[in-house]
Amino acid sequence: MQSIAKRNNTNKFIVLTFMAIIAVITYMLIDLNFENSRLLSFAMKIRFPKLIVMIIVSISIGGASIIFQSVINNRIVTPCLLGMNSLYSLIHTAVVFFAGSASIIATNSNLSFAFDLILMAVVATTIYSYLFKKTKHNVLYVLLIGTVLTSLFTSIQTTLTRIMDPNEYDTLLSSLVASFNNINTEIIIFSIILLVLLAYALRKELALLDVITLGKAQAINLGVDYDVCIRKLLLGVTLCIAIATAMVGPISFLGLIIANLSRQLFKTYRHTHLILGSTLFGIIVLIGGQIIVEHVYTYSMPISVFITVGGGIYFLYLLLTNRRV
Amino acid sequence: MIIEKLSKHYDGKKVLNSVSFEIPKKSVISMIGPNGAGKSTVLNIISRLMAQDEGVVNFEGKNIKKYKSNELSKRLAILTQTNNVQMKLTVRELVSFGRFPYSGNRLTEEDKKMVDKAISYMELNDFEDRFIDELSGGQRQRAYIAMVIAQNTEYVMLDEPTNNLDIYHATNMMKIVRKLCDELGKTVILVLHEINYAAFYSDYICAMKNGQIAKFGTVKEVINKETLSEIYNVDFEILEIQGKPLSIYY
Repeated sequence: MQSIAKRNNTNKFIVLTFMAIIAVITYMLIDLNFENSRLLSFAMKIRFPKLIVMIIVSISIGGASIIFQSVINNRIVTPCLLGMNSLYSLIHTAVVFFAGSASIIATNSNLSFAFDLILMAVVATTIYSYLFKKTKHNVLYVLLIGTVLTSLFTSIQTTLTRIMDPNEYDTLLSSLVASFNNINTEIIIFSIILLVLLAYALRKELALLDVITLGKAQAINLGVDYDVCIRKLLLGVTLCIAIATAMVGPISFLGLIIANLSRQLFKTYRHTHLILGSTLFGIIVLIGGQIIVEHVYTYSMPISVFITVGGGIYFLYLLLTNRRV
Repeated sequence: MIIEKLSKHYDGKKVLNSVSFEIPKKSVISMIGPNGAGKSTVLNIISRLMAQDEGVVNFEGKNIKKYKSNELSKRLAILTQTNNVQMKLTVRELVSFGRFPYSGNRLTEEDKKMVDKAISYMELNDFEDRFIDELSGGQRQRAYIAMVIAQNTEYVMLDEPTNNLDIYHATNMMKIVRKLCDELGKTVILVLHEINYAAFYSDYICAMKNGQIAKFGTVKEVINKETLSEIYNVDFEILEIQGKPLSIYY
């Protein structure tokens, strides 16, 4: 019986990968003018970086959400719902605000990204690990405080932009309200390197994820150095969210949708499967959504609208069906 | 395992006050006492789930804190009361986790044999492919015990293993505890609320009150009218059935 379940999961992976590839190909080739080579190369130049960014975002949000859910042992919470991406926006604004838009930190986008990341890593791990410890991993408290934190970070950030020099604000704005139509392509290579390094640095902890989902007591019983491991994983989650937010801005519900779809489909505890599944779902949802935005609504509606509406409904569905929240 | 002068505070309140005792090997030791006496706290400290404020737990001639967590997980297993898994996990997969300290995520042939043995030992063959969250309380408890058996440790610690079980399943659980000691040669330390289970199935009893050891000794030494009345502040009568003391409280 176990082998049947395994074979089923392999089949599901094949179907999912196939769908993701179709989405990628459709996105690259739809409405292309093959006769005019200059138009062709122009379209490719626009589409290719976007595609890469969407894949990077799928990996970082998909991975971060699954890891985060397993760490706090609950499947309706995602890092974005706890305000990690508003924290990132706040940090980014604060850096420009205090350093000035003409300073080297703000003008060099890779440097500014690196600076944001370091700040984010320190601040977020401090805040969130304190939060989990203080509430003793009580999910309802964590969610409640997370919602409050989201508004807090957002209000501080808006306050900063209000008292900012208008010129500074103008330069900040383009990097702040990133969306899939206004992506931050300069940091693609930096992000890829960072993701690879993260996966490498956390390979031991990632292998422990399966055991961690059994709960703290069981994990320690089975020989996991729990506190250190959790701290490292949280750090990884923070950095992944920072990467995604820096590239395309906050998309809160995406992680919730793709992580839970993956969990629902694969019904397994194996995190290699779950993370891969959630990444593939991310690619399908994002690229599919982007095709609709570009070719059906011709850019009149940003993709975040679909994700928020769809994600909100899905969130309610999860809350109502999941008895043991 | 020798426990020396353990103390623990919660928010300035002392929950353990200089607790010392020695755990005899290859026997069943039950910890009894009223709520808040510190039984679970002791169990959590000697299984490294919790850190003590003062005192030393000496495990096989070495301070337990000096061991690597992975090394300890091959010698000492703990099962707490709250075991709710959010994952979709089958019984076999759960039991396989017992081999994690030895082989990580990749099970060897030998690990698989150990898992098979643990599953049939706990008579779980019929539901080895069922999901944990679809099982009844008694079955789930047995699945967790099977995992502990697969972990193959000398010491097994159980925090209220009969909690939430009806008398049929609770009695079965206690028989299993006895078998763990008699057949598999393990040292079993458990926290119990039912005094009669403790009296009937244990070799030694550690009675606690107000964060201190009230009495540690063999069943006959602890289960008597005076000691129990003093610990629980309730009147006791002790009868004898099958050569074991049976306590009646009213």
